[in-house]
Amino acid sequence: MKRVLVLVPFPLDDEGIANRSAQTAEVLLRPDVSFEFQAVRAGPTSFVSPHDWILLALGIFEAGLNAEEDGFDAVVIDTVSDSGVDELRSMLDIPVVGPGRASLLFALTLGSRFGILAQWEPALARYRKVIPEWGLTDHCAAVGHFGTPPDFAALIAGKEEEILPRMEEACWRLIGAGSDVIVLGSTTMHQAHGYLAEVLPVPVINPGPVSYKLVEAMMSLGLAQSRRAHPRPLSPKPAMIRTMLEAAAAHEIGHG
Amino acid sequence: MTGEPRRVLVLVPFPMTSDQIALRAAQATEAGLPPGIELDYRSVRAAPSGYVSQHDYVLADVSILEAGLNAQDDGYDAVCVDTVSDSGTAALRSMLDIPVVAAGKSMYAVALMLGRTFGILSMWTRWFGLYERSLREVGLGAQCAGMRAIDVHPDNRNLLGGKEDEVLPRLLEAGIELIEEDGADVICLGSTTMHEAHGYLQERLPVPVINPGPLSYLVAEALTALDLTHSRASYPRPLVSKESMLVEMLGAAVRAEAEQDRPS
Repeated sequence: MKRVLVLVPFPLDDEGIANRSAQTAEVLLRPDVSFEFQAVRAGPTSFVSPHDWILLALGIFEAGLNAEEDGFDAVVIDTVSDSGVDELRSMLDIPVVGPGRASLLFALTLGSRFGILAQWEPALARYRKVIPEWGLTDHCAAVGHFGTPPDFAALIAGKEEEILPRMEEACWRLIGAGSDVIVLGSTTMHQAHGYLAEVLPVPVINPGPVSYKLVEAMMSLGLAQSRRAHPRPLSPKPAMIRTMLEAAAAHEIGHG
Repeated sequence: MTGEPRRVLVLVPFPMTSDQIALRAAQATEAGLPPGIELDYRSVRAAPSGYVSQHDYVLADVSILEAGLNAQDDGYDAVCVDTVSDSGTAALRSMLDIPVVAAGKSMYAVALMLGRTFGILSMWTRWFGLYERSLREVGLGAQCAGMRAIDVHPDNRNLLGGKEDEVLPRLLEAGIELIEEDGADVICLGSTTMHEAHGYLQERLPVPVINPGPLSYLVAEALTALDLTHSRASYPRPLVSKESMLVEMLGAAVRAEAEQDRPS
């Protein structure tokens, strides 16, 4: 049995983790691979500013540092921001997959241009940063949003009637702007995927489940990230990173 | 979620004997597919003799389109086209609702999930035109660090059979040049016919080496598991489909080939 560690980017309780791990039920997975969800120790409260991005990256980096020693065969990050992916890749030899870049590239195997459905206006800054960094500007037809603040623990549960029509409307705008494929802009939108895939006339990419299938394929083919693109540090500081996140977690308890 | 058996049709772009098909089918063991996936191999009825000119590309497109036209009616869940040229895939996508996997495009996309750039390692410089065609279509040419070939005339039916000692060290050398001189973070094998070289190269090169055939099978598996297929917005249906005309055309091509082969 191969074991995949899925890193959840916010320090959630068991119920919050369960809402995230429900993504594994949305796709047919191999019987010989298990997915184990684990949350970071500490992180930002929102995800709208470079302040938040750097804390999220460090939290995910720390949470995955020991994955190889703990016997995992691969790591997946449960955020389309791909926060912490490059950092973990510089330290680990097992495949590390972020659903963001992977979903956008995967979308290009199904259609010419993708549209990204973002949660709300403050989320747009992150996409404006990563799309050019990933060299995919020319392939992006539009980034749109449905104007609803995210709930990183409950996701959209209980608010479906209000939220789903707004998501659908935003997707139609993306299609009107020339999107051949819709990519959900966050793994927290996974509960809406079935509905959107049914009502929309173009493929809808559910980034979490897509990342699980891609990591399965990489393990099966013996592929992992290129060391040339992710060089090792001259002096790794895992103990320092661990201590920093322990201090962050203690700080949050003190201020909780 | 439980899995029904899923059937994938692999289209082989040259007419072949069953022994030659078996060499192609050996790729399946390199993919390590999960249970429940069945691969059937089917050759095209007629083909160009190689893929080196626009004359060849259009014949390849038509013959692969014809060979896959009935895949959905025949009960297949996905189609893979066993050539990095992606010949025929766009036309097949316009006709079928089941996923049609383009081995080249899928390889370039996955390469960029593993590194910033990729390089294409090939048998023959005369294949570069078909990579350029596919890269233009998927729009990822800017991330291609280079293409290198060893200029050994490829045998698309018997693959490396008997030439390993000559071919493998030269491929390794060209792979090192792609990495060290061109800056490739990932090596893409330029043909599914090179699959026999994959293990040798992966063992000796310091970056990931992608074996396009096995990858395409796993992409087909992923697409069927995710219930995803190509976008109709990118691959619109024809207003009038000419399936029976295509079948007649390939029948005529087969007759023309037989005529030419007949001793005079």
